[in-house]
Amino acid sequence: MKALLFLIALLAQGYSPPRTPEGQPDLQGIWQVRNTANWDIQDHAASHRIPAGLGVVEGGEIPYRPEALAKKKENFAKRLTDDPVEKCYLAGVPRTMYLPYPFQILQTPDAVMIMSEYVHTWRFIPTTPLPRYDGYESWMGDSRGRWEGNTLVVETVGFNDQTWFDQSGNFHSDALKVVERFTRTAPDAIIYEATIEDPKVFTRPWKMRMPFYLRTDLPRVLEAECYLDAEDAGRPIRGTHPEDRGGAKGNVR
Amino acid sequence: MRTAALILFLLFQTYSPARTPDGKPNLQGYWNNAAGSAPWDIEPHPAAFQIPGGDGIIVDTPDKKIPYKPEALLKRNDLRENHEFDDPQGHCAPSGIPRQTYTPFGFQILQPRGNVVILYEAEHAYRVISTERTQHLPGSMKLWQGDSIGRWEGNTLVVDTTNFNGRTWFDMMGNFTTDSLHVVERYTPVDANTIQYEGRIEDPTIYTRPWTVRFPLRRNTQAGYYILEFACHEGERDLQHYTEDTGNTEKTKK
Repeated sequence: MKALLFLIALLAQGYSPPRTPEGQPDLQGIWQVRNTANWDIQDHAASHRIPAGLGVVEGGEIPYRPEALAKKKENFAKRLTDDPVEKCYLAGVPRTMYLPYPFQILQTPDAVMIMSEYVHTWRFIPTTPLPRYDGYESWMGDSRGRWEGNTLVVETVGFNDQTWFDQSGNFHSDALKVVERFTRTAPDAIIYEATIEDPKVFTRPWKMRMPFYLRTDLPRVLEAECYLDAEDAGRPIRGTHPEDRGGAKGNVR
Repeated sequence: MRTAALILFLLFQTYSPARTPDGKPNLQGYWNNAAGSAPWDIEPHPAAFQIPGGDGIIVDTPDKKIPYKPEALLKRNDLRENHEFDDPQGHCAPSGIPRQTYTPFGFQILQPRGNVVILYEAEHAYRVISTERTQHLPGSMKLWQGDSIGRWEGNTLVVDTTNFNGRTWFDMMGNFTTDSLHVVERYTPVDANTIQYEGRIEDPTIYTRPWTVRFPLRRNTQAGYYILEFACHEGERDLQHYTEDTGNTEKTKK
């Protein structure tokens, strides 16, 4: 039955992605979303400097636990100062994938690498059974990948509770587990799915879905050094550092 | 003489590295530099508080020092004396090339076809070095890590990097760069667990001649190792307090 469904899916898809010499689907290239999920992963009308957009959450609703929904609303109210990306922190997973910055996917037979322009973020995704470190806690998580037919499946755990899914305060805890699925469905498109599991914050797993598009106009990913760029623009980012109350003395010129 | 040296080199170059599936020398794996105290000072220097002494990593100038033009040396000395806390690395800015190679942190080399990728622990930096691109970005495009293009010369990966923004330093001692910097790196595997690393530095605006840093890279063979996240946040300001707290108070507080 499963095999039959798979066959039907293949036939219906009608697209067979290019393969590496080792026979893996070839996802390599420079990609970027064309959506507004970075600002809000749910339906939203335009607001000041934020384009309107349809949501990327399957079914529209995010199944927050009641106390978590209150926290989300609190985050939303403080989004312009508290969004971790406004502070130029690493954006986490899956948000790094739908930031308004390009990223490059590269592959070896044993690993997939994702290199984002945003604060030179890299993701190393071994497709071998590399044991995980115990108690690993990080902004980008600890990823392991595998190939299922034409799809790269990536399971990531080991997150901290510091990143948000968007600028609208959608958040998670350190119990977050993300399962991503990357499927090339056309020469210039990847369909991306991310299933979010976090029993501390959500009542059930939920899913986002969106396309990535190939950037054929870039010979390479460039640099976006968020914090330093803000300083250059005369709008230094200030957080909880004690000097922020009295102004910084040292600076990167 | 040069030819003789080359012949001698070829005769004694008995190591033949493993190859990737596409026939390139296989440099993949986890590496650490053996650059001694270069992260602090790439010139010869005595030990100081919290700074190990060392002979530096410059191999082709008579005094192992950077061949500054006089006015550039004055600028370096001013940065060293009065602006120690401005070291961009201390604020988590990208280290630049070649400094990224001699930070005291490990890195991983991977070789997707047509590229060499280096994932660094330090500042979670990375480089994608295409061995297929033939042209650098337009000169007006300035980058912290520059624009790198690689090629294979025998067993050696040669990486040519331009398009720097001139904001990075070579070390914590004010040895600065300009946006005219041109770096040619050579990664030569000499045995299964060693790469000889060399970086040739050229910048006619501040140096009287090109100069070269050289040190080995050693393979990290620890089973199950992979790179942990280093979430150094740009704008980090601890270095300033650190330098103030370690005896430089008068200079940094003015």
